[in-house]
Amino acid sequence: MKRKDKSANPIEPEVRMELPRRSFLQTALAGGAVASTAYLSLTRDLLAKESGPIVIGHQCEVTGGFSSWGYWHDKCAKAAATLINEGGGIAGRKLEVPVADTESNPAAGARKLRSLIQRSKARFVVGSVHSGIMLASIPIASELKTPYFSAGEATEATGSKGTRYSFRTGTDTYALAAAGAPWAFKNLGKNWTMIFPDYAWGHSHHQEHRKLIEAMGGKVNDPIAVPLGTKDLVPYLAKIPEETEVLFSVFFGALSVAFYTQSKSMKLDEKMKMYSVSGTIEAIHPEAINGAAENVFFLENFPRPLEYKNDEYHKKFIEMMNIDPVHAKENGSDRVMAKSHAWQSYENFFVLKQAIEASGWQRKKDTPGVIEALEGLKMENSLAHPQGAKLLRAQDHSGMIDCYISQVQNGKFVVNKRIPRAEMESLLPPRYDFRKYKL
Amino acid sequence: MDIVVALAFNGLVWGLIIALIALGLSIIFGLLDIINLAHGDFFMVGTVLTWFVLEATGNYWIAFLIVPLMGFLMGALVERAVIQPIRGTAALSIVATFGLSIIIQEVVRAGFGAAPKRILPPIEGTIPLFGIEYDIYRIFAAGVSIVAIFGFFAFLHRTKLGTWMRAVRFDRDTALAMGVPARTVYMVTFALGFAMAALGGAVAAPITTVDFQTGVDVLPFCFMAVIIGGLGNLPGTVAAAVLLAVTEGIVTSFTDPTVARIVSLCLMSAVLIARPHGIFAGATR
Repeated sequence: MKRKDKSANPIEPEVRMELPRRSFLQTALAGGAVASTAYLSLTRDLLAKESGPIVIGHQCEVTGGFSSWGYWHDKCAKAAATLINEGGGIAGRKLEVPVADTESNPAAGARKLRSLIQRSKARFVVGSVHSGIMLASIPIASELKTPYFSAGEATEATGSKGTRYSFRTGTDTYALAAAGAPWAFKNLGKNWTMIFPDYAWGHSHHQEHRKLIEAMGGKVNDPIAVPLGTKDLVPYLAKIPEETEVLFSVFFGALSVAFYTQSKSMKLDEKMKMYSVSGTIEAIHPEAINGAAENVFFLENFPRPLEYKNDEYHKKFIEMMNIDPVHAKENGSDRVMAKSHAWQSYENFFVLKQAIEASGWQRKKDTPGVIEALEGLKMENSLAHPQGAKLLRAQDHSGMIDCYISQVQNGKFVVNKRIPRAEMESLLPPRYDFRKYKL
Repeated sequence: MDIVVALAFNGLVWGLIIALIALGLSIIFGLLDIINLAHGDFFMVGTVLTWFVLEATGNYWIAFLIVPLMGFLMGALVERAVIQPIRGTAALSIVATFGLSIIIQEVVRAGFGAAPKRILPPIEGTIPLFGIEYDIYRIFAAGVSIVAIFGFFAFLHRTKLGTWMRAVRFDRDTALAMGVPARTVYMVTFALGFAMAALGGAVAAPITTVDFQTGVDVLPFCFMAVIIGGLGNLPGTVAAAVLLAVTEGIVTSFTDPTVARIVSLCLMSAVLIARPHGIFAGATR
């Protein structure tokens, strides 16, 4: 090695050091040994973590406006985790379910989803029932390459805003319209008015139902979109045309109760048939609103009374939830199960278990295999799937399930018709194929 | 034409109920300079207390009488525990009352539950009114609001305590020098504001719903009434609440309901630009 002249840099002579070849080699070898040891130790830690518990995050509305539903989603997730762990976990690994409270707020929900995936190391997420949170979450889950199951009804989650990573075992507005509108058109009336909250969920219901009713030759009057937070609904109810035969309403929580209360006091229920979807009366006991929902028809995912799906799995599920078999009311409290939606936060853990075990998933990089296993996954009526047998359609990642038309009679839900899964599949051609997107 | 008149009338009825609630907000701001973000929750507490009293006694009228008194006592407690320590600091009042709002909502959610409930109106029946079946109870509720509003103004102008309240509001130092017990006046004012919101809750509960977040929706409308009427201007607040509700009712009869809400917000913006102290600034206080 040619040595440089010290005088070449007279400004910092003390900084420049002589480094003999032997010393250099010794230092390099020692450094290499330390780095290798550290790398091996680090890799061992990483491998150890992946062979430890499987983390499936639960994004849930524990507080805020959706908390009457969130309570049940949380309870369902915990029941599923207990059952899975009692049965040996997933592929022999224990299941851990960290919960992220969305506060029923899309911004908070999206922020906490990122934390759930990045800090709590959730490899899969059973997500929100709140459509706004669900739509804010899908881009994040997709960016972080984490399969995300939503339970909200906005059709975009498995439609225009869906990705290879977004799934939904329950129904969306597209499915709800296809399942219920033909029956309601035939049995309730041909002239429809739709009243709904002025945001995406309500408009989505209106668009999907309007298409079907008009295609069947019915008349759909101008829609009535009610601003969120409205307390006095009389100005909106007064605009419902006299000739209306079917009043289709889509509301949530307090606005829903206000709608039934005020429409009943204006005697609209005596002039027209009232039809709605389960979300409008979810987690609400008809008796708690003093008969305001009496005679209203609802499209449900899961009948409240045991008698309309009377099998051992439904019975066991009711026992696990600690609810009565008629009203789905929790024993010892006033809470009524949000049954048409919360089952997803129970069953989705078993869906993931089935796909993880089928694909041989070991670590994060194996996730594409799970997605491929989920696409077209068939589920049997069982304790893992008490809502019933179903299919997670390969193209649009949407669940094909049985639905039910019920009517509130004397404060109790009475099922008028069951719409079987096969009929749903024929009514709902897939509009998207996410399989064309690379993983 | 019928529908325009019907919705204008309904606007008047609903505006009077809102005026009762907004009046409480206005006196709290006018006297204490407190921007009370928890006022909607005081209304919600009124609806929830009504539900509990009704469950316990089975009689709505007992709730109707007791709930405002319970609201008054709770208001006095809140004033001493939350407002008194931060009085005179407007910025802190926003933070404190926002925190209070969250605490009230979560306490009610934990105790009452998150699912909404309904109270049956104590007066049942409808009357045909300009083409719609109109709930008789609503007319009763508007009547109660009118009586409560006039009663409040009579209290303010014809009682010793009311005179003290006005005196402290106009010139606190002079009132103190004259021997007016300012701390008591502050406490009573805040408690009255709470009581009026609670009475509004008891009156509105059979019309709307009983729900732990119901106050969140009422608060913006109350603030709009207070801003348009002039901050702290009590008659202005009442007039603005009625004006807003009637305007929204009439506009709704012609167009989309959301447009009606936009018109209300535009009206508020126009007032803020043209008359920053409120449309009724200068009116009798």
